[in-house]
Amino acid sequence: MHRRRIINTLRKLTTQTTKLAKESKRVFPPLYWRLYSVWYRHMRVYTKNIFSNGLPPFLEPLLFLAGVGLGLGTYITQSMEGLSYLEFLGTGLLVTAAMFTAAFECSFGTFIRLEFDKVYDGMLASPLTVNDLIVGEIIWAGTKGLFFSFAVLCILAIFGVIHLPYSLLAPLVGFLTGTMFAVISLLITSFVRTINQLNFFFTGFISPMFFFSGVVFPTSNLPSYIQPLVEIVPLTHSVRLVRAVCANHYQMIHLWDLFYIVAFILVVGFFAVKRLRRRMVN
Amino acid sequence: MAEKIIIVKNVSKTFPKVVAVNNLSFEVEAQTCFGCLGPNGAGKSTMMKIIYGKCTRDEKPMSQMSIFGYDPKDQELKIKYQSGVVPQDNNLDDELNVIQNLMIYSKFYNIPARLARERIAYLLDFLELSEKANSRITELSGGMKRRLVIARALLNNPRLLILDEPTTGLDPQVRHLIWDKLRLLKKEGTTILLTTHYMEEAFQICDTVMIMHKGQRIIEGPPRDLLAKNIEKYVLELLDAGALQDKFNDSMREQVRIDRSQQGTRLFSNNYDYLKTLAGSMESENYYLRQTNLEDVFLKATGRGLSETQ
Repeated sequence: MHRRRIINTLRKLTTQTTKLAKESKRVFPPLYWRLYSVWYRHMRVYTKNIFSNGLPPFLEPLLFLAGVGLGLGTYITQSMEGLSYLEFLGTGLLVTAAMFTAAFECSFGTFIRLEFDKVYDGMLASPLTVNDLIVGEIIWAGTKGLFFSFAVLCILAIFGVIHLPYSLLAPLVGFLTGTMFAVISLLITSFVRTINQLNFFFTGFISPMFFFSGVVFPTSNLPSYIQPLVEIVPLTHSVRLVRAVCANHYQMIHLWDLFYIVAFILVVGFFAVKRLRRRMVN
Repeated sequence: MAEKIIIVKNVSKTFPKVVAVNNLSFEVEAQTCFGCLGPNGAGKSTMMKIIYGKCTRDEKPMSQMSIFGYDPKDQELKIKYQSGVVPQDNNLDDELNVIQNLMIYSKFYNIPARLARERIAYLLDFLELSEKANSRITELSGGMKRRLVIARALLNNPRLLILDEPTTGLDPQVRHLIWDKLRLLKKEGTTILLTTHYMEEAFQICDTVMIMHKGQRIIEGPPRDLLAKNIEKYVLELLDAGALQDKFNDSMREQVRIDRSQQGTRLFSNNYDYLKTLAGSMESENYYLRQTNLEDVFLKATGRGLSETQ
């Protein structure tokens, strides 16, 4: 009697566990997996053309260095913020490369996926929410920023422009920069009706930032009425932070830069998701 | 009574300029095929999108939805995890090949890679695409792309398959192939919800058809019942009504229902012999005598729908 009861209980237990296993298979993937799968989709499409997508990030800093090192640099003998001009510009390129790639990915790229290729329509039919889709895309743009920063780092290191090993942390700033420009680009894209309107974003926002954020020349000598503007725009903080990383010399102001970047990502990201959601789910 | 997979009650969807779905209610039983039929802009696609969370329905206290017991308003993931969707547009990744397209979607469902490869091989075989496994998307014909999107929707072995105009723009061979596959899926226990313009499609594969117009349900029922209950058995289509002008009198009106439109005149009747005698007096290229079909029901129903809402 006693043995039979034990056997029965055991049998019940096993059927229950198999049932449970079947049930759990009916549970949708967890958040981290959903974000990863969106990231994986973009990574897969990007690496599909590894040659044409992966080589230019290395060629571009090479061209810049050649132009500055062989030409422009010989005219600029004054040191900038204590750095040679080659090092000054080179460290700036670490973050501008991340800025440009993330800005393109999350403006033109996103708009094409949204309106022309209808990629999101298909993805939203699978177990993904709009939030998964957008946050996954932001993380992907950050990753691209990291990769582009890394490419610049490789070139700078090969030519001895910057010093290892501290600068190996620079791609992390590239990641933050990429993420920052992903969220702002997504927010802008959420307002755009035709793809050509994005040109204003690049001419009016991205290009000026390249010149007035301390990448090409120090901002300290700019007229005082421009100074507050310089402090507001996001790239300034990336540039300051990446130079601190490369020199391994940190001050209090870099804590402010880091805070600015994180806050920017969270606040602008929140509104970008909110606005794009309305465009994807109606 | 069979399990209800979809329950939709008093659902409306208002866009800024138009009411796409207007207080719609319907139910779909497990392992049946339910077809939404209607002209462009009838609200079919919007209704599909509300079911899988791509659209949100209007907030109304009366409105209620249950898909496998879940409400798409707050449990879209649970619904989508057990459903497969074939959207109106193909939206495949052109940069990737056939297998890569499917592998990426298998990631969305968290299907382990080895299992996914097996499943993909099976589905490509099922939809007769095995030869194209490594082709680029741009090399595929329209019919192949459509079948690939259907394969993609079947990756997770869904309990519910939602198809938005699965065969629009495809040649008859592909259409018949897709119908065969859908019938097979139904036999294996899948519930199917589809929208279509094609009356024949609805007749061929649907157990229940709902004709929609301007966001509302006009009629609903098994296709054969719709035919039997809503329309006469035969129709005589006249290309040149003038030939019979002198016969349009009261005695004729007792025998037939006359439907005049810009395209021509149609005489509907259950009396085949009477229509035949009428036709006998005309040149053969001027008329076409046939059984009525779902399209006649459809035109009659949506025509009437128009006058009701106006």
